[in-house]
Amino acid sequence: MYAVRVNCTREIEFHQNCEHKMQAVVTPLTQALSEGNLTREELRELMERSNGPALKWLAAWVAVALTTSSLVVFAWNSWLIWPTMFLHGIVIVHHFSLQHECVHYSVFRTRWLNKLVGTICGYIIVLPNRFFRYEHCDHHTYTQLHGKDPELIPMPKNITEYLLFLSSIPFWYARVNELLRHTLGHLNDQEKRFIPAVEQSSIIREARLMVMFYLAVVLLMYTTGLWAPLWLWIIPLILGEPVMRFIRMTEHVGRPTVAQRQENTRTNLVSWPWRFLCWNMNFHAEHHYASSVPFHALPDLHEKIKKHIYIEPAGYLGAHRDILAQLRKGPSSTYAKG
Amino acid sequence: MQRDKQWRNLIAVSDLRKNWVTRVDFGNRPLAVYDAPSGVYVSLALCNHGGADLCDGYFDEHLIECPLHQGAFDVRDGRAIDTPATRPMKTFPARIIDGCVQIKI
Ligand code: FES
Repeated sequence: MYAVRVNCTREIEFHQNCEHKMQAVVTPLTQALSEGNLTREELRELMERSNGPALKWLAAWVAVALTTSSLVVFAWNSWLIWPTMFLHGIVIVHHFSLQHECVHYSVFRTRWLNKLVGTICGYIIVLPNRFFRYEHCDHHTYTQLHGKDPELIPMPKNITEYLLFLSSIPFWYARVNELLRHTLGHLNDQEKRFIPAVEQSSIIREARLMVMFYLAVVLLMYTTGLWAPLWLWIIPLILGEPVMRFIRMTEHVGRPTVAQRQENTRTNLVSWPWRFLCWNMNFHAEHHYASSVPFHALPDLHEKIKKHIYIEPAGYLGAHRDILAQLRKGPSSTYAKG
Repeated sequence: MQRDKQWRNLIAVSDLRKNWVTRVDFGNRPLAVYDAPSGVYVSLALCNHGGADLCDGYFDEHLIECPLHQGAFDVRDGRAIDTPATRPMKTFPARIIDGCVQIKI
């Protein structure tokens, strides 16, 4: 017999023959349902899955990516190649948003499609899908909690730190380091905590496969003299990454480093092209409330719970104005003082 | 001494959410009752990965997906289908008698 905490106020006890110890957690969703912010029937409707919306969105996505890559090709022999590669890079780095949705299995009703598309996106942006899934699960459990949330972006202490983060240099250093570490068979203590022992070898295998793929691409470019992947993928990815860093900062940075989802996450109201690119992930607080709700239903969820979440009406720029204002006021005024 | 397991009434079939999961507190034990295409199945309601309530999750045919991390289980035998859930969930034999779902417990 053991005790399970529910709602942090009530304790229930029950026998559970041959079951492992387990503690009930109050997910934001359970909380929203118990507070009446959402009914179970509404939730059921919102969670409805189908492949249709994602396949349409994906078709438009491929069309946009083909258009921006064509622009790079058309600009091949002029200085315009750099701005076009940057534009194309903005699309490339947004594969993160699609991969993020896929690790929640909410893009397609057919589960293997989520794995397949998520894995392809991961290869494009150098993020192993299986590993990201585990890491991201922990982010949802410990959102914004220092020392626990593996995806926490700390509030920059000064403008130099802020600009350094946006440059993506620390990001690439950490990403490549992590991939090579896994390739060499090493998981750090935090990773060992969120990746079950039975899964650790598959994470290492996944990293090795990815590194082998990149080496094969380099070898292919070198031996054939076809350098298109460099100009249509790798350089745009590097050029576009600061945009993704800029967007990723708006999700939690500058919000309180507390467990309450109403506080620790920011929803950014942005225009439709940005919403298209990020697969509605600007509705980030809604996503943290109910991560089983697919991307196409997030605007509807927003309408239902908008009184209970933190919203930045001025979008990504507004979020950065908020972050910079907190920076100017100094560490004592920032939320993220841990 | 361990008592023999017996069939016990759990919930009227008419009170189940159609083609979905219904939460039932059996004494102080939270259970999830699934109205699946091939019949009714019952498991513990708390996910064995992190303790989220599976009754708030997404249910599709025979698959229950956890609302917190989207780990998934087959409700027929409790088998873990998707990570981060890796262990089978605890299920209970279930049957319908006179319009009532019974479990052997
Ligand atoms: S709590 Fe259910 S999969 Fe993690």
